[in-house]
Amino acid sequence: MKYTAVVTVAGILCVQLASGSDHNNIDKERPLRFDDAYSIAYRSFEFQSGFRLDTFNRNKPVYNFRSELQYGFAKNKDFSIGLEPFISSESGKLIGNILELSYFEGVSREIGNNPAFGYRIDAGIPISGGTGTEFRVRGILTKTLGHYDKIHLNIDHYNSTSTAIGQRSMRMGAILGYSNPIGYPKAFDQTLLAELGIEQGLATGSGYNTWVGLGLRRQVSATAVLDVGLQFDLRRTEPEPRSPVRLTVGYSTSF
Amino acid sequence: MSVLALILGASMLREDSTRLQSAMPKVPENLPRWLNSRGADHLFYKAAPYNWAINRIPAFAQDMYATGVGHAMAYEALVTGKKGELESKTFATIDYVLKNPPSKPIDEAAVSPRFVQKYGYLEKVFDWAHTLHFQTIDVFTHPGWSDAQKEAEIERLWTFYSAEPYAISGLPMNMEYLDSFPYSGAFRQNYPKVNGLFWGYHWLQTVNYDMLFRVPTADQRPQYSLIGQRYHENELYKTDRDFMPMTAEMSPRFARRFPQIANAFDNLHMLHDNVNDILAQSNLSEADKATQVKVAIYRVLASTHKGEEPGEGEEKTLHDHRFPDGMPGMGMMIGSDENTMYMSGMGWMDMSECAHCSISLPEEGPWGATVSAEGWTMTVRCIMCARDMAAETPGRAIIRAATEDENRLLVMISDEEGNWSSNIKGIVFLEVFGEHPNCSVWSRAFTSRSAFEKFVGTVPELKGAKALSLEEWSKLNHATPDTYTKIDRPNPYRKGGAK
Repeated sequence: MKYTAVVTVAGILCVQLASGSDHNNIDKERPLRFDDAYSIAYRSFEFQSGFRLDTFNRNKPVYNFRSELQYGFAKNKDFSIGLEPFISSESGKLIGNILELSYFEGVSREIGNNPAFGYRIDAGIPISGGTGTEFRVRGILTKTLGHYDKIHLNIDHYNSTSTAIGQRSMRMGAILGYSNPIGYPKAFDQTLLAELGIEQGLATGSGYNTWVGLGLRRQVSATAVLDVGLQFDLRRTEPEPRSPVRLTVGYSTSF
Repeated sequence: MSVLALILGASMLREDSTRLQSAMPKVPENLPRWLNSRGADHLFYKAAPYNWAINRIPAFAQDMYATGVGHAMAYEALVTGKKGELESKTFATIDYVLKNPPSKPIDEAAVSPRFVQKYGYLEKVFDWAHTLHFQTIDVFTHPGWSDAQKEAEIERLWTFYSAEPYAISGLPMNMEYLDSFPYSGAFRQNYPKVNGLFWGYHWLQTVNYDMLFRVPTADQRPQYSLIGQRYHENELYKTDRDFMPMTAEMSPRFARRFPQIANAFDNLHMLHDNVNDILAQSNLSEADKATQVKVAIYRVLASTHKGEEPGEGEEKTLHDHRFPDGMPGMGMMIGSDENTMYMSGMGWMDMSECAHCSISLPEEGPWGATVSAEGWTMTVRCIMCARDMAAETPGRAIIRAATEDENRLLVMISDEEGNWSSNIKGIVFLEVFGEHPNCSVWSRAFTSRSAFEKFVGTVPELKGAKALSLEEWSKLNHATPDTYTKIDRPNPYRKGGAK
């Protein structure tokens, strides 16, 4: 159980937040895993919180509660600090807690045919339920596709300072995200999201984990966004537990 | 409108040889470097307890949010090869949104992604100025502060706004010069309906300030029932304006108090006009359009006019910062001089004089009133002039007048029959008709009978004067005073001086 918990926590480690409380501004984990290439606005604070339910084939569900505070400390740059505790549905006890520190920089906006480009560096430091620090560097490209819809390509590189025997210390992953505001010209307050993700499994020599996701971000006030998402593991390499359905609900507010 | 009428209208507007005609602008050497920055550079508004207080007047807030959609959709059509649909399909779509406005603020960049790809630097200027628009409105609609606190915060907001390189100058600028380039006027001539919408938005964005300025928050919303109706039924669909609405025309009280902000809004709206005109050109390449948009931005940036002073500058040039007497919150207009200017729909006016009796306005307040009717707002010396001027105008009107208590502004709204309602219960009036130059003594409003008696007791000539109730006062009318002088000159915007 402990090993499973560690693997579960590690498998979900690459989780952090981005961007402002604007339904068009795509935030990682709010509700899907991809980012767009834009930082939150200079001088803004953003608080995001969310609940995630992971259902597993051979284990009891795990609840996850994320809270994160971001600050746009310079133009096109933000810093964030967050906590992500995992709770077992079986025991009701905390099985892991991660402190996340993130830096994001939007390098360029979309100009002509050139996509917007940004990157982020995250450090996930286990407070409990794990050892070592996992770093992630993510490169992000955002490009308008048709008219209002956009694609967001996220390329991830993970590097763990401490791994169990038989686990990779470095992994790669990629997510192709899609966003499309829906309702124009009758409504301007919601955006549909979809993603297709692939990343190397945790175990050395294992194949790739793949998943798809569908989500919605809805502006509920001038400063707040509600999000809901569903993700489905298409393939999950052993010994990581496959989550047939992952439900995410979140709320973001800027100030 | 037929094609022939369009052509004739265009020639009336543009072929007047007396108008300043400037050459196609060249790229200045000191173009700010940020214009070529690749960053999105999103800026957050000033954190404060008043943010989004505009939602206390829901209909107003929604109309303001819809203006953003209107701007964005028109620009998107202009840069995606849909100019031909502007007056039909795009107009209809925008009109739908204006009639069914969003209840929450919208991200203009999301509605105009192709425009932002091409003109992201322009979006930065627009966004930052629109933030100033919204935050100043939020301050005034915030219920928790006194007028003095609000005005101090507006000053701080101006400082906050001006600290960014995208800030537009708060100096008055010569509108004739800014509208004198080879491309000027193209948009209003070729797309009169959509241009009417733009100028309608700018009417709303400027008329609201006198609705809010020094007006108790409880008395703001009732005014919008009239202003919103006017906006939706008339102002959005006007295609016969001679020029864009100016802040000082729509909100003279606010413009006198905060001339920098009034000027910045006018300069912003002129930038909108310049950009519209540039994008409407068929004979400019995409690169030339981008260049001209940058030059248009440069013209109105605060950094371009650093160290310059209001009231100074060479006539009819980029650095002409003169303003009409009595109105530092407005630059010189076509045909205007220090004393007079032509106001579309009203004719020639002297902004240092009462619009009803032509007697000079006092330099110091509190005094006088403004009258808003039929889309215009005029400053008058006394509340009698306000009432009688409103009576001469068909339809509903709003009077905002000083009382003996400088912290209590009288707001009166009339119905179609000319019956007035007041925001101050127990308001009483003094009116002992006499010479107009002294009207500010014998025509006044008081918040209470005791205040009336106290004032009357200090002026021997008013001994025995009766305190008039609103009903009694409303029935009086002294018509147009003998002192009124109409300035009879031709319309400088029209060839042949059509009036």
